[in-house]
Amino acid sequence: MNLFQQFSSVVFLLSGLLACQSTLAAPIPDRPEKLSYPGLTFEPPNPADYRVLLKAGPVAYVLPDRELPLVNISVTVRVGNYVDPAGREGLAGFVGHLFARGGTEAKTAEQMDERLAFLAANLNSSIGDSSGNVTLNLLSKDLSEGLALLRDVLTKPRFQENRLALYREQSIAGMKQRNDDSTAIEGREREFLAYGDQFWACHYDTEASIQSITRDELIAFHRKWFHPANFTLAVSGDFDRTDIIARLESLLADWPFTGDKTPPIPTNTRIAPPGLYIVDKDVNQGRVSILLPGVKRDDPDYPAILIMNDILGGGGFTSRIMNRVRSDEGLAYGAGSSFRGGIYYPETFMATFASKSRTVAYATSIVLEEMKKIGENPVSNEEMQTARKSFVDTFSQRFATKAQVAGTFADDEFTGRFANSPNFWKTWRSRIEAITRDDVQRVARKHLHPDQARILVIGQKEEILQGHPNHAVNLKELTANRLNIVPLRDPLTMKPKDKRDPAVQ
Amino acid sequence: MTYRPFFAGLLALLPGWGTAQQIPVVEKQLPNGFKLLMVERHNEPRVAGGWVAHIGSSNERPGITGIAHLFEHMMFKGTPTLGTKDYPKDVEIIAAQERVRDLMRAEESIMRDQWRRGELADLTKIETRTDRWKELEKEFKKLIDQQREILVKNEFDRIYTTAGASDMNAFTTEDMTGYFINVPANKLELWMWMESERLLRPVFREFYAERDVVFEERRMRTESTPLGKFAEQFNAMFWDAHPYNWPVIGWPSDIPEISKAQADEFYSLYYQPANITLILVGDFKVADAERQVNEYFGRIPRGNRPPPEVTTLEVPQLAEKRMNADAEANPQIDILWRTVPFRHKDGYALNVMEQLLLGRTGRLYKGLELGRQVANTTWANQDSKKWAGAFNIGAEVKDGKTHEEVENALYEELDRLKNEAVPEEELQKVKNNFAAAAFRRLSSDFPILMQLVVNEGLGDWREVNEAFAKVQQVTAADVKRVAASYFTRENRTVARYSRKAGTGAKADPAP
Repeated sequence: MNLFQQFSSVVFLLSGLLACQSTLAAPIPDRPEKLSYPGLTFEPPNPADYRVLLKAGPVAYVLPDRELPLVNISVTVRVGNYVDPAGREGLAGFVGHLFARGGTEAKTAEQMDERLAFLAANLNSSIGDSSGNVTLNLLSKDLSEGLALLRDVLTKPRFQENRLALYREQSIAGMKQRNDDSTAIEGREREFLAYGDQFWACHYDTEASIQSITRDELIAFHRKWFHPANFTLAVSGDFDRTDIIARLESLLADWPFTGDKTPPIPTNTRIAPPGLYIVDKDVNQGRVSILLPGVKRDDPDYPAILIMNDILGGGGFTSRIMNRVRSDEGLAYGAGSSFRGGIYYPETFMATFASKSRTVAYATSIVLEEMKKIGENPVSNEEMQTARKSFVDTFSQRFATKAQVAGTFADDEFTGRFANSPNFWKTWRSRIEAITRDDVQRVARKHLHPDQARILVIGQKEEILQGHPNHAVNLKELTANRLNIVPLRDPLTMKPKDKRDPAVQ
Repeated sequence: MTYRPFFAGLLALLPGWGTAQQIPVVEKQLPNGFKLLMVERHNEPRVAGGWVAHIGSSNERPGITGIAHLFEHMMFKGTPTLGTKDYPKDVEIIAAQERVRDLMRAEESIMRDQWRRGELADLTKIETRTDRWKELEKEFKKLIDQQREILVKNEFDRIYTTAGASDMNAFTTEDMTGYFINVPANKLELWMWMESERLLRPVFREFYAERDVVFEERRMRTESTPLGKFAEQFNAMFWDAHPYNWPVIGWPSDIPEISKAQADEFYSLYYQPANITLILVGDFKVADAERQVNEYFGRIPRGNRPPPEVTTLEVPQLAEKRMNADAEANPQIDILWRTVPFRHKDGYALNVMEQLLLGRTGRLYKGLELGRQVANTTWANQDSKKWAGAFNIGAEVKDGKTHEEVENALYEELDRLKNEAVPEEELQKVKNNFAAAAFRRLSSDFPILMQLVVNEGLGDWREVNEAFAKVQQVTAADVKRVAASYFTRENRTVARYSRKAGTGAKADPAP
């Protein structure tokens, strides 16, 4: 029995259990709690069963899946926007975009695109903040040809000049829209407040940086970072395990260049002082983000924070912020909070919603009140139960398909979680089950300080500050510090627009 | 599970492989009118469950536009036993709320009259309300506070979430309202209980707060986005006679006037069993599920009269229509042509055409972005709705190029489709991608559920299995003929967007 069969037999066993549920129909109860259910057990797959250390250095997670005649190959590359040199902001993103669509030494971009399209094969690449990714999804009958193309792309990308010129113009056209949508302004200014303009994630590309990037720099970037020691692979689909491993070995053998070791991701974040920050924008709905310092995901408090945040604002319609801001008051369509543990640096706590200008202040006061309450009193047993179950009883969804299993494990390998805790998923549910109401209250007290909130508002400044006659709330008094008017940035330079310059509005 | 191949004829076209895949649906009919679709798949111990009601904004009328969507929100508010601690009192309060609302509506009629005479500038401003209206609002708030004491907040959601269900949501389009969720395989009976109860005896509590939520949704999607308001008006000018011309979310003056009484009437007409299809995909046994569906959903009475169908047919367009807008957006062109509805025989050639135009080897990218270098971004889409359809193409104008150059370039690409036969290899490329998509769509339960919901909502779930074969039969001559019959000047509506003065980058010359 191979590994694939072992895993699928687990699933088969579960469905066997379900077949026992054909009992005689009882009368339909008036409340759903009165229903009884057959048992259901689920064990997550074990990463060690699928982990393969390839000769060229990288780890691959290999999951055969014969259901459909498709193969998925994903190569994660240890690189990201954080390696962009000063003055070359956008370089990593540039490489990520052009890598799979700029041709190879042997094939022009057009030849490669046409061949891939005829085979109905999807070859894509991108580089984000903390990782790069090259993916190939194709029919298994085309695997040999697809892998040969992938090898060519990984070792000899062409970065064809006309594709580069087009992407440059597309990037600058995209920049010009930076102040058009209040959502975009909110996302960007939130980063500046949360992490500071000294932090790499706030080093946006500009017209000047994009114009200065040359093809030689793309080639140098590729040769520096794209080599097997920087790769992690996730492979799933219609293949034989032994056969695909041999193919992956030759995909990565005899790499034509050596490259560098990627530096660690800088962690010099600096959150702005507490206060109210307003960007004036003429839209009839104000967008609000409330920020507080956050944690990393390996923080011992993190499991309790997950539960606490779920009850506060992470759990959708079962969360307190949604219940009050949306269901009770009708003040927003979406309202909630997120408390993501950062992988490399602490990611901020964030509560967000959007409400018509005049009720922004009132809705903000409700959110702050809920942030305070959850530290003052223990949450209810019912809330605890709902939050725990929402994590524990949805657990199997993370492993719903072989591609997801491979992706989850490769991600853990890449971020170091597998090395630190190889049984992370096996023990995950018991760690969540162990959280108590006291833990929730303790982490709320420790991490949520509404008086320290950084409140970012994008919208009609005057209307928003005026507030609503039915609700005596003064937005300016909700935080410890003064009101800051945040100017829009020039979309092409990202410098704050200077009001004195008549050419800029 | 294994899928059986269909359409062996494809093998000749696609050497080495080439069998598209069917979704093996078991279809049943309940005596009270429900249709039931089931797909057994044992890949994961979960079930994706949903249902689609054949009711969308095109079933509305002026004055209550947006009610189908508002209704979708109300279906999560509970039942007599879910959502309240004291149902008789709850009913009493809801009735009292309605009496106050009737009085408020009378005041709103006065305010509209003042508005028509120019005495009120903005009906949405709280300061413009009459004193009587403000008093009534206070009275209404008191009733809300009373109701809150007996309310069990979002209990419908809490019960599902505590049972390990996830991804609960719903959507409304012009043609349908779809509801869906994902439950652990052992909790399928909970799905039966929850969904049949909310269809059997829904309670529309918190109606007016939810109406405000919907208005915030309108502000978020339409009013405060750069192109939302324009897209709404562009759509309204595109359709002449057909009710597709009003927005799914509703006109801004209609949403705040929809009453609970209208919602009740709407429910009894459009949410009867014969207008609804139940759909289950995942880890269950068809026989067990069918038995439970009969037990739970069989309780719901058949309606008194069948819901009316949309009978208005779009009138032929006689002349080109154009909109010139200044917006906070990059300059762009958007063009719509009247085409065909779901399952029309010409729809498959239009789907092929869309794919000939799209993508990294598509004619728009090659022709406008790389070739003529007049556009930075291009798009194309055949939208086959239930009663009528439209084809859309558009492009963002590159710096230094004009709207006219881009618009002409788009027409040139369409003229090539009309005048020159598509080369066999290019046509085959598109067909290969449709065939591969037939596999890709089968990766997990939820996307299969959604395909069934949408296709059934448009008129017939069987299309999920039949469309792929029909696309494979499209010939180069079909493409030419269909392009020539729809892509005419009098059949199109064109929007040109220019960047609004003062919203650009520093370097931008004033338009």
